[in-house]
Amino acid sequence: MILEDLNLEGKVAVITGGGTGLGKAMSHALAGAGADVVVAARRVGPIEETASEVRGMGRRALAISTDVADSQQVERMVERAISELGKVDILINNAGIGGEQVTKPIWEITDEEWRIGIDTNLTGAFYCSRAVGRHMVERGSGRVINISSGYGLRGGRDNFMYCCAKAGVVLLTRSLALTWARDGVRVNCIVPGFFATVPLDRPEIRQYIESTARFNPMGRVGEPGDVGPLAVFLASEASDYVTGEIFCIDGGGLAGGYTPTGYAPIIPLKG
Amino acid sequence: MILREFSLEGKLAIVAGNGRGWGNYLAIALAEAGADIVIAAPGGKGIEETAKKVRKMGRRALAISTDIAKSSEVEEMVERAISEFGKIDILVNSPDLEFARPFLEVSDEEWDQVMNINLRSVFLCTRAVGKHMLERKTGRVINVVPGLAVRGLSNCTAYCAAKGGVLQLTKALSQEWARGNIRVNAIGHGWFSEEERSEEEQLKDPLVRYIPLRRLGRPRDLSGLVVLLASDACDYINGQVLFADGGVLAHV
Repeated sequence: MILEDLNLEGKVAVITGGGTGLGKAMSHALAGAGADVVVAARRVGPIEETASEVRGMGRRALAISTDVADSQQVERMVERAISELGKVDILINNAGIGGEQVTKPIWEITDEEWRIGIDTNLTGAFYCSRAVGRHMVERGSGRVINISSGYGLRGGRDNFMYCCAKAGVVLLTRSLALTWARDGVRVNCIVPGFFATVPLDRPEIRQYIESTARFNPMGRVGEPGDVGPLAVFLASEASDYVTGEIFCIDGGGLAGGYTPTGYAPIIPLKG
Repeated sequence: MILREFSLEGKLAIVAGNGRGWGNYLAIALAEAGADIVIAAPGGKGIEETAKKVRKMGRRALAISTDIAKSSEVEEMVERAISEFGKIDILVNSPDLEFARPFLEVSDEEWDQVMNINLRSVFLCTRAVGKHMLERKTGRVINVVPGLAVRGLSNCTAYCAAKGGVLQLTKALSQEWARGNIRVNAIGHGWFSEEERSEEEQLKDPLVRYIPLRRLGRPRDLSGLVVLLASDACDYINGQVLFADGGVLAHV
């Protein structure tokens, strides 16, 4: 039965950047499908909150403060996850910074800013995949889900570290998928479009979201909850034959090329 | 524990095809998730057997013999589905007429036939069902395509053009109907086989050795994707093609 394939009971998931936004929503969805969850991110407050919500759903949860750009912290986080929960079945590389907030003329970007942007958005996914991957390959089973961005597929004005790193995440996905295909490990990528992941209390943020929504074919931006069931599908047996694949979830933005053209005028055939 | 978003209970799905390929398996998958099924394809035992299987699962099912490349038959099929079930929530277009011949040898008739079954049928079924979905302001259209919708192969120009056409239909319509609350997506498959053969046996085939997961697709391998896109689980995925192909396209 296909629905039974979507059951994650008995599985353990590590979700980086799990304290807020999409990571928090995916933590809830995986727990809702029966998984135990390790929530890893830098700030303790949000990850503790997500972990306690997961426990409230009757699943086990660990909050481990981790900077994914620091490989030693990543190794320790994975060791602790395995020693306390016994194994890791699912890794979601979701931690990242940026998007529109990090746009800057190229000559103003310092070496350090470039390094931080690439490290947090791309190198962190490499560190986590390396740390968890060996364990998964040894067990002959695992699911890695990388979170890229629409900016991993298309360019953005003044948007350098984020676009380059997120494009790197897409190809990290494809190369890992091919590398671990014979080891029972599936690697796929979610490409979210615009999502409302920041509090909407400031009027300029509300205005930005509203104008972004107008240009989306569906007329709305994504809600974090939109991503949850997709993550469950990719973490489950239902996606056993799916690997190296890119899942855009953007209301149809990329399919239309993000152009503000709306409906084309009617052009009748001429004899 | 299964997220309730994946359930298709109370929904009606039409699975339209030419009696080959994935149609019957997708109908079973949708029924497993709770949907009632109309299966439309040229008559024969195949679709009636699938309808019987669906009924055994406790769902309602209707097999309607339909030439899906013929406008009047498609319109009648959709009218009958609505009069029997009251509505249509999901349309799966899964026609598949395979064809290969050197380009210079393709006749006018062959070209038309390949286009009619693989592309025109998708236009006809989607137009007929879409009118009803737009009135209700809800619906899901899922087109089934092979890897040849996105990559080329010698001797397959007509087939590739038709399948690529289905993908562009998917993208363009996803824009046009987005605000009508209808999602239009495609699911893609790689090489697959209905026979159960051991993976060792399969690996004698050089084609299979090229598949990263080193086995042919099984009839069940598209079940998860079709349920994902047919259900309320992924309202925000639109205009996409999602492949379950064992990793073949990761090479590309």
